[in-house]
Amino acid sequence: MIVALALLLGSALVGWLAPRQLVRLADPVVALVAWLVSVVAVIATVAGAMFLLFLPDHGLGALTVFHHCWDSLQHGSGPTVEAVSGLTGAALLTALLARVAVVGRRTARRRAHEGRQHLDVLRIAARRDPGPHPTLWLEHDRPLAFSLAGKPGVVVATDGLHRHLTPAQVQAVLTHERAHLEGRHHLLVTIGDVVAATLPFLPLFKRAAIAVREFVEMAADTAAVRAHGAENVRVALLRVAGHGAPGAALAMSRDAVETRLARLQQRRHAPSAVRRLLSCGLAGAAAMALPAIAAVGALTALMLLVCPYG
Amino acid sequence: MRGLGELEAAVMDVLWHAGEPLRVRQVLERLDTGKDLAYTTVMTVMDNLHRKEWLTRERDGKAYLYAATVTRAEAAANAVREILSASGDPQAALLHFAQTASDEESDVLRKALRRKASKN
Repeated sequence: MIVALALLLGSALVGWLAPRQLVRLADPVVALVAWLVSVVAVIATVAGAMFLLFLPDHGLGALTVFHHCWDSLQHGSGPTVEAVSGLTGAALLTALLARVAVVGRRTARRRAHEGRQHLDVLRIAARRDPGPHPTLWLEHDRPLAFSLAGKPGVVVATDGLHRHLTPAQVQAVLTHERAHLEGRHHLLVTIGDVVAATLPFLPLFKRAAIAVREFVEMAADTAAVRAHGAENVRVALLRVAGHGAPGAALAMSRDAVETRLARLQQRRHAPSAVRRLLSCGLAGAAAMALPAIAAVGALTALMLLVCPYG
Repeated sequence: MRGLGELEAAVMDVLWHAGEPLRVRQVLERLDTGKDLAYTTVMTVMDNLHRKEWLTRERDGKAYLYAATVTRAEAAANAVREILSASGDPQAALLHFAQTASDEESDVLRKALRRKASKN
């Protein structure tokens, strides 16, 4: 019972406190990995806690040192209470995960359908630049660019870009959009949206949608900066942002643009591929283990508190 | 399916380029897709485009004369409007390069940039 509670407490702590640390990570790709792995880790740790409640010995063989202390703690609640709370918790968790799966599937399907509808019109109205991710050019004055997931994903851009930006800035915009497609950012955004919509409990889940959106923009900016320099990306961002659609004005994207501008002004250098891979691996592993580590910390603190002479 | 879609784009391209109504035979002659297309294939594609309201047609003797309902620029403007005015979730299918905001906010951003630039 106590171990399970400690695991739940550890998960809650991570779900509550991790976002504050995650937004401080310098590399947006590492931040993305760490955030999404943290989501999985918190869910897995909660599931582990439910599982432990069912085990007769609570899987505590390794903790016999604390046996005496353990006994005193364990008698706090009878086995029936454990089984009932374990069962309730497991049922609740299963229901939640089923909801995540159903909503996720529905959202992914609807977005794919909408993407195809957009593409139906765009394919005819636009001129096509071939490539692994084709660019569809629209004859339109307003400078606009966006990417659309699909097979293959496409970049949609207007001729207005050429009128308002230098060729290098146009290339920076296109590189940014292609980075979205190459990084499968549309999928990540959908995952973030579904997590935020279906598990609105802890900041780690609630803020997943906004965080993922900001991180993917920053990740795509990093790719564009690496290829075309920070100045080109920054000016392109300002000029294109100035022509945004009023209807699509969201507080969220405003924040993102300001954050992006601030970041670009710092002109951080993009890390090498090897270093980034290493950082992602480390961040992922740390994020996965964090709820359990927090649980061990909570348990130790509890034991020290309850049985100082145990 | 995708091949047929590309053919639709190619047919519209011919009609937009011509700037006047054309028969299926004339479109076939001007299509430059790198492969030999059957008359019936092009006819089917143009029939589809007519059904989707990209083309209007008028009977001229034995054949139809087809014309684009909108110019390429109008089609592009419609596409942009349709995609940008989609609110809520449809919007989420896309990732915009810069998805802001009112003129006022862009002004603030631009002023912030100028201040920064003049300091340097």
